[in-house]
Amino acid sequence: MNYTSQNQKDKKEMIKTIGVNDVSELFDVVPKDLRAKELNISGGKTEQELLNCFSDIASKNRVLRSFRGAGVYDHFIPSLVGEITGRSEFWTAYTPYQAEASQGTLQTVFEYQSLICALTGLDTSNASLYDGATAIAEAALLALRVNRKDKILISSALHPEYIKVVKTYLESKAKLVFLDVSSFNGTIEKETLDANLDENTAAVIMQSPNYFGVVEDMQVMSVVTRNKNSLFVAVVNPLSLGIFKAPGEYNADIAVGEGQVLGSSMNVGGATFGFMAVKKALEWKMPGRIVGQTFDKRGNRGFVLTLQSREQHIRREKATSNICTNASLNALAGCVFLSGWGNYGFKKLAEINVSKARYAFDRIKSLKGFRSKFGKDRVFFNEFVIETEKDINKINEVLLENDILGPLDLSNHYNVLDCIPVSLNLLRMRMSFKNCLLFCVTEQRTKCEIDKLTEILSKI
Amino acid sequence: MDIPGNLKYTKTHEWVKIDGSIAKVGITDFAQHEITDIVHIELPEIGKQVKKGQPVAIIESVKSAFDIYTPVSGKIVGTNDSILESPENVNESPYEGGYLFVVEFDDEKEVESLLGAGDYKKLI
Amino acid sequence: MGRLLNELPVGYCPAYSLDSDIEINAQIPENLKRNLDLGLPNVTESDLLRHFTNLSRKNYALSTTFYPLGSCTMKHNLLVSERIAKFNNFTNLHPYQNSKTIQGVLEIMYNLEKDLCEISGMDYFSLQQAAGAHGEFASLLIIAKYFKSIKQKRTKVIVPDSAHGTNPASATLAGFDIVSLKSEPDGSVLPEKLKEILTPEIAAIMLTVPNTLGTFERNIHEISKVVHENGSLLYYDGANLNAIMGVVRPGDMGFDIMHVNLHKTFSTPHGGGGPGSGPVGVKAFLDPFLPVPKIEIAGNEFVLNYEKPKSIGKLKAFFGNFPVLLKAYVYIKSLGAKGLKNASEQAVLNANYMLARFKDKINVPAGNRCMHEFVLAPKASFKSAIKTLDVAKRLLDCGYYAPTVYFPLIVEEAIMIEPTETESKETLDSFVDVLTKIILDEASSEPQKLKDAPVNTAVGRLNEVEAARNPVLRWK
Repeated sequence: MNYTSQNQKDKKEMIKTIGVNDVSELFDVVPKDLRAKELNISGGKTEQELLNCFSDIASKNRVLRSFRGAGVYDHFIPSLVGEITGRSEFWTAYTPYQAEASQGTLQTVFEYQSLICALTGLDTSNASLYDGATAIAEAALLALRVNRKDKILISSALHPEYIKVVKTYLESKAKLVFLDVSSFNGTIEKETLDANLDENTAAVIMQSPNYFGVVEDMQVMSVVTRNKNSLFVAVVNPLSLGIFKAPGEYNADIAVGEGQVLGSSMNVGGATFGFMAVKKALEWKMPGRIVGQTFDKRGNRGFVLTLQSREQHIRREKATSNICTNASLNALAGCVFLSGWGNYGFKKLAEINVSKARYAFDRIKSLKGFRSKFGKDRVFFNEFVIETEKDINKINEVLLENDILGPLDLSNHYNVLDCIPVSLNLLRMRMSFKNCLLFCVTEQRTKCEIDKLTEILSKI
Repeated sequence: MDIPGNLKYTKTHEWVKIDGSIAKVGITDFAQHEITDIVHIELPEIGKQVKKGQPVAIIESVKSAFDIYTPVSGKIVGTNDSILESPENVNESPYEGGYLFVVEFDDEKEVESLLGAGDYKKLI
Repeated sequence: MGRLLNELPVGYCPAYSLDSDIEINAQIPENLKRNLDLGLPNVTESDLLRHFTNLSRKNYALSTTFYPLGSCTMKHNLLVSERIAKFNNFTNLHPYQNSKTIQGVLEIMYNLEKDLCEISGMDYFSLQQAAGAHGEFASLLIIAKYFKSIKQKRTKVIVPDSAHGTNPASATLAGFDIVSLKSEPDGSVLPEKLKEILTPEIAAIMLTVPNTLGTFERNIHEISKVVHENGSLLYYDGANLNAIMGVVRPGDMGFDIMHVNLHKTFSTPHGGGGPGSGPVGVKAFLDPFLPVPKIEIAGNEFVLNYEKPKSIGKLKAFFGNFPVLLKAYVYIKSLGAKGLKNASEQAVLNANYMLARFKDKINVPAGNRCMHEFVLAPKASFKSAIKTLDVAKRLLDCGYYAPTVYFPLIVEEAIMIEPTETESKETLDSFVDVLTKIILDEASSEPQKLKDAPVNTAVGRLNEVEAARNPVLRWK
């Protein structure tokens, strides 16, 4: 296909106006010996051919009933989300540089910021970051900027991919120390934090619910952290905030996380958004776009990109971050997603997740050969760890035959943590997640599907 | 442009008012005019040791940010915190209510090398 | 202006609801329980639909108007790409599915990498980065790791003063100090000047070709030579790749490493600010440092390889913004080799045509020819107190989105125009007529009209000073 629109007559006129003989003359400045040969790229397909061709490729992927989470979740997406994000006035616009002609994007970002503040209980939100992992890295960089200390404590129950990304961003800038997770409780113990926290600690990064699905006592950790004048960074699943304590309630300085659960499809883990909310005192140190309210000469309310002197296009090498393009359309999905539930509906959505996960947990752990990994009183949101004596590969093979995406095998997957300097504790920890499975059950899974899963597991 | 005769100046558009071993520092009327509407200011911490020519404060307008250099070496002994809340004071009163910070300076010679009002006027 | 979400009438029932076929059992210990009010609006679906639909109508967008935003390559976004990216067998996949069950995804990523290599003349690509700046950051980490691996201490990166702000910001984030290079009035780099600052500490120079004034770097041969003789690397900022597809390849020009913005050159939509995608391409000697995982073929199957011991690690969770990658790949398959080259030629033709119509009337600092974009310097034409900002706002009243303004920083009162290949001669002509009239006629005869602009938009000119001095960043 060809999406240019000049006919031969137009082209001739244009060439004449420019004063050349043909288009190739416009490239005379490109040295002759550098000119490319004709590219070896197939294509030139019509729309109809493309649809057929990509249908064929798509059919090589398998859509499964998912009992797997670990950072990306199968959640219900209300129809309105697709309707609004599908409006070309939103998806074909650029970053809203000309405010008066971009009020649609700007107001929705302002509303998004408001909703993220409401959810997290913090004062100021930016307009979004690439994803949850990079949002955590940016939070750590923010902490280093603010208090000029050089050590960051990180929960080793943080998602392994997030740990890897934080390492990539910060390895050369700060001393990263990992807090061991208790293999009995699946949480970071207060004593572990006490033992590692000192005057040089810029920030403590804790995730709740953590990688193992366990809800941490963030209140306790936050108090300890702030007593040492370090910043407390809460990595949270925004959906869990329907029922679990908000970062603002336990006095976190920064809340960050992955926004995929707020209205974005799984998309193999890509094109989601990261969110960041902070206390008022930190707002001028934030990375990324921020939208603010203002007025025109006639007193009409309007919205603009603001606090821009923090950003790369003005401050260049002294900017708070290099981010320019973020994840605006996914944040819009988040805005539309959050706006329609109401307080009762959103809380109920979170409660259904907990309830279904508990139902599945109770059924699975009572099967012969399966048991709960962590102590009895551990609270989880929609993910939990089960230890089994069965052959894990076999389990997932059989589930796959039934079009089910089974739980994540932690014994293999935890190898991702190779990035953490090996300590004796870590080796012990890795051993202790052998034969462990991380299950996820969202509101999307029906009772019937959960019962089928347990039935299959019981027969293995 | 207002260039008071009793002050010393720098090529980077700071003014300095000397009182014994104390130097009060701000930006000139010319500078505030060039910067246009100031929206945000960051000031140094009190007690900080600074070296002449080192960037110690930042002044920001909507579309730009400027480093402010200390004209003398020494210790920061005071900052004008009122302008953090009301940055427009620097636009409105650059030489009085809009001063930035106060340095207790170490080296008399550095003061001598600052520009007088006449030389600064020629510069702009 | 319309109302904010929280000012909409409280609905009898909210827009969405959900039931559970399992008894709700959500007792939570007090110490973990949320006590803070959620503060979410309670609005019906019909009210929300109106609210967001009306908001969308307050946007100028590529689907409603010419959007000549320089350096942003606002070309037509293929609708078929959008349709394909919504296939259930693409959207509904989990990143930790067994790779055997996402062979279609891996095939697309594998082939996109191959095509990007062919277009750019690079040997390998990583598709993980979420945006151009993210790609720059990844590239600079790769450069740092490379020099570490050959035990050279190089701590500085050269960035021309005409470069995008992301260049110095990314290099700083990667731990480098910046050496700024003063570029020539047409944005180009003189090898002699470059030589003077090429010390043994220089790790790399970041170049945008064509540069931000729309000029091709005519001395690229010589630049490449002096940079490599110094043992430094040459980095290509792919923001302006749309000018040269099928004509000349960064890899052949001597670049060692580069990024591409798929949301510019490869037609994927920008979504009002993202998601984008910034693949990083390298010559073979830098391949060991690329992020993990790498997609490879083993037997007749695509696999994910995490075993790259020298890799800089991960830049983002999982594999990258897959829907964006998919859309870009659909675009490439739609155009093919001929179509890609044709796109660049048309983009350059369109820009030169506009330039030709402007050049005798309004000052153009980079001369009579350009590549895919050009910069006007209208300052000399302004008789009154008119500024470029006023011109931009007046353009909004005339139904156009404004070009990029006040960039590049080396041109005072700059207006940077990039028409792209997908605009018709008629559109270009009307725009040139209107902009010329504003600058040469209205600016002197009716300056107040420009100062008061815009009046035809959802709101009048907004007070940005007040917004920053007393920030209101959420509803109160």
